[in-house]
Amino acid sequence: MNIIFQGGSVASEDGAPVKADVWVEDGVVKGVATNLPVPDGARVVDASGKIVAPAMFDAHVHFREPGQEHKEEIATGTEAAINGGVTGVVMMPNTTPAIDTAAVVKMVLEKAAAVSRIPVYTSGCITKDRAGKELAGIDGMRDLGVVMLTDDGDPVADPAVLKRAMEYATEFGMFFASHCEVEELSGPRALNEGKKSYQLGIQGSPACSEEICMDRDIRLAHATGAHVHIQHVSSAIGMETIRWWKSMGARVTAEVAPHHLLYNEEDIGDYNTHYKMNPPLRTAADNAALMQGLKDGVFDLIATDHAPHTEFEKAQDFVTAPNGITGLDMALVVLFHNCIAKGEFGWDLLVKRYSAEPRRFMGLEPVPVEEGKRSELILFDPNGETTFTREFMQSKSSNTPVLDQTLKGRVEMVVMGDEILLER
Amino acid sequence: MLAEAQELSECRGTEVMGKILDEAKIAEAVVALAAQIREGVGEGKFAIVGIRSRGDEVAERVSAILREAGVEHDSGMLDISLYRDDLSHLQENPKLQSSEIEFPVDDARVILVDDVLFTGRTIRAALDALTDYGRPRRIELATLIDRGHRELPIAADYVGISVETERMDHVLVRLKNTDGEDAVELVEER
Amino acid sequence: MARKDFLDIASLSREEVELLLEQAVPFKELFTRSVKKVPALKGKSVLMLFYEPSTRTLSSFEVAAKRLSADVTVFDVPHSSVVKGESVKDTIDTLQSMRTDYIVVRHQRAGLPLAIARQTGASVINAGDGAHAHPTQGLLDAFTFKEVFPETDGKKVLIVGDILHSRVARSTCTVLQKLGVEVAFLGPGSLVPKKGPEGVKRFTDYEEAMKWGPDVVYLLRVQMERQDAPFFPSLREYHKVYGITEERFKRISGEGTYIMHPGPVNRGVELCHAVMDYERTLINQQVENGIAARMAVLYSLKPGI
Repeated sequence: MNIIFQGGSVASEDGAPVKADVWVEDGVVKGVATNLPVPDGARVVDASGKIVAPAMFDAHVHFREPGQEHKEEIATGTEAAINGGVTGVVMMPNTTPAIDTAAVVKMVLEKAAAVSRIPVYTSGCITKDRAGKELAGIDGMRDLGVVMLTDDGDPVADPAVLKRAMEYATEFGMFFASHCEVEELSGPRALNEGKKSYQLGIQGSPACSEEICMDRDIRLAHATGAHVHIQHVSSAIGMETIRWWKSMGARVTAEVAPHHLLYNEEDIGDYNTHYKMNPPLRTAADNAALMQGLKDGVFDLIATDHAPHTEFEKAQDFVTAPNGITGLDMALVVLFHNCIAKGEFGWDLLVKRYSAEPRRFMGLEPVPVEEGKRSELILFDPNGETTFTREFMQSKSSNTPVLDQTLKGRVEMVVMGDEILLER
Repeated sequence: MLAEAQELSECRGTEVMGKILDEAKIAEAVVALAAQIREGVGEGKFAIVGIRSRGDEVAERVSAILREAGVEHDSGMLDISLYRDDLSHLQENPKLQSSEIEFPVDDARVILVDDVLFTGRTIRAALDALTDYGRPRRIELATLIDRGHRELPIAADYVGISVETERMDHVLVRLKNTDGEDAVELVEER
Repeated sequence: MARKDFLDIASLSREEVELLLEQAVPFKELFTRSVKKVPALKGKSVLMLFYEPSTRTLSSFEVAAKRLSADVTVFDVPHSSVVKGESVKDTIDTLQSMRTDYIVVRHQRAGLPLAIARQTGASVINAGDGAHAHPTQGLLDAFTFKEVFPETDGKKVLIVGDILHSRVARSTCTVLQKLGVEVAFLGPGSLVPKKGPEGVKRFTDYEEAMKWGPDVVYLLRVQMERQDAPFFPSLREYHKVYGITEERFKRISGEGTYIMHPGPVNRGVELCHAVMDYERTLINQQVENGIAARMAVLYSLKPGI
């Protein structure tokens, strides 16, 4: 492959996009400069008015394989990622069976190697079958490259178990990811406790349920010297809790999901299950606080919590319908449309939080568009638009609030190494 | 009925042929109706029951004339909406009004009063409604206007005035208490 | 255009509420005739789909539908955890093939009637879904209220009890607010929402609440089945703090305040025995008005099959 992107701007985590041509040959960025001469035999891509950016990395996805392949498979999930300009993902272990032993990790990674065009990483369980009792097969999973341990949506209820796991696995160089929730406080885990839950007549899950568990987990990590990563923070107080612990020197990182930045409980309207996820959408004040936290660096990364469910499941009543929405096909465009295009933040923040930091966090090299680096980039048209029809989305499921909506921005090409993964 | 006809005229293209009865003619017809009823009923007890809407207003006027002439009788009003045979075909069910049948219907002689007698379907509904209040000895029918084109075996015993119409025409009756003026118009379907 | 479904009060305009209340009057008048039935829904079928036991509401709907000459089928759903395994969609498909015109549904899951309504052409009437709504109860309460107070604007109603879990509280409060009535809540802190509906006063003390001068005290039923989850220490304590005790009844009857309750009552808990014989206790009227209100609702809807 020999290709030159002419007339575009290069986005990086270090500032506003800079006008430059980008020449890629044989999987390596060979040149980044204005008015680069067209190399012999290079294909010229007109990038004027467009952005060349490092490809994204999503550290929180549910691919449902093995066990629930009717919702998603590794093959379709990774294609959804490519469709959305994402070239690396970390799977959560809440599959059936759960990813709690070397055997399951091996199965998943082998499957990924066979069907995926992008690297797939997986987290492993803290406890067997995510039941919160006995420790999972930690060493075996580590041998296969697992670094993140989490019991996903069913956080370890017993603090003694989590403490022991932290003491044990930290010495293996592994870290913990926490979905935070106190089961007894959360009720049916359907929506935020507040105005909307009263209106809809469903017991709400209060923000304090998430905040108590978050505080507990960071406290345990701090006491044991573990690194804990707080997933999909949804409340203002949760964000402040992390800010405070960071100031105390705790080894804590945190992520925020696009939906918690952009939507709130009012969007649920009349039981719209495309706004049902866990942790739930909270209030407009929380949206604003989370956005501030992202700008202040309280959140190390943006991750989608890509959670596919079938239309059939989501058409059930609000309590019965499963939690979660898809994210990979659309996160980049959704963030561009709602944040970058509206001046909320710039490409530098997006690249830092959705490309560079997530890779560092997983112990990987970031993929800046710089001379001499491996090519892993996207071409993005800020003047284009994308309509998220079922046909457009590559995920098996279409449970997203942006279903059939047209948003500003368009992923035009995805390049990884010597291969063009996507070209529209 | 007025609203319905106006709606019809908007969508189907109809033409108002103009007033066929004015206030004075309507008054004459009411007097004629009252006279016939007075003659028809003879000496016995009877009740006058108007069919909502507008039949009730005709009934009130007839009753007033009879009472002035010293002919005592019971009065009532009947809303027949719940008895219509075309409810399934309507976009919206007609608004209900109260029926007022305060006298014992069992064994009574009842004269139903309506403004216009056309297909006879309203009267069919009224007969059903009335008999749910009891078993009258006899039911008769008085109408201000008979415009023909019956679809059921129903005939009026007392008629204020007969008017020749085409099947598709609309006869619009407007009465003071209900509509602010007394007039009858013929609207022709084009 | 008429509505297809009747799912909650919140989505109705004041005009729609007033119209339904007005239409309930001629229906109630029918009850004094020897023939109480009218042929308005002759040939139509009404399916009662009650996933939660309720003899009172079920019978009330059944009588209402039958008085409109509809054919009524009570779909036999074993209670408790039926729906496990059977999705709403499967149930709907079954119902669709029965070609029913109206579905009256009660379910412990909030929002389930809406989920059904979105997937069927039949008119769906919510007979109570979880803690969300019980709109015909709201309507019959408003109807009863309006019989006593034809001018509703500025009147005051105090709703007492388990506001948090009560769909009755939600629907009745909403309908009364739409009619310009001022509503206040009184109940244990564990059973009153922190973020309740806008414009509702909150009292924590009976004395204070009575000083506010309510025209009606509306008592909510204490759900005995909730006793395993300790929202308050004991029924005795509840009666003492939030019930109409003999002593409070003296004051209430002295002031001529009306009393409403959706039934069935727990004597000695929400109220003392004497309340049931009080001439301003509207509980029996509520039951009778329930049939008329439900007839008005059935008559107002147009299935879109």
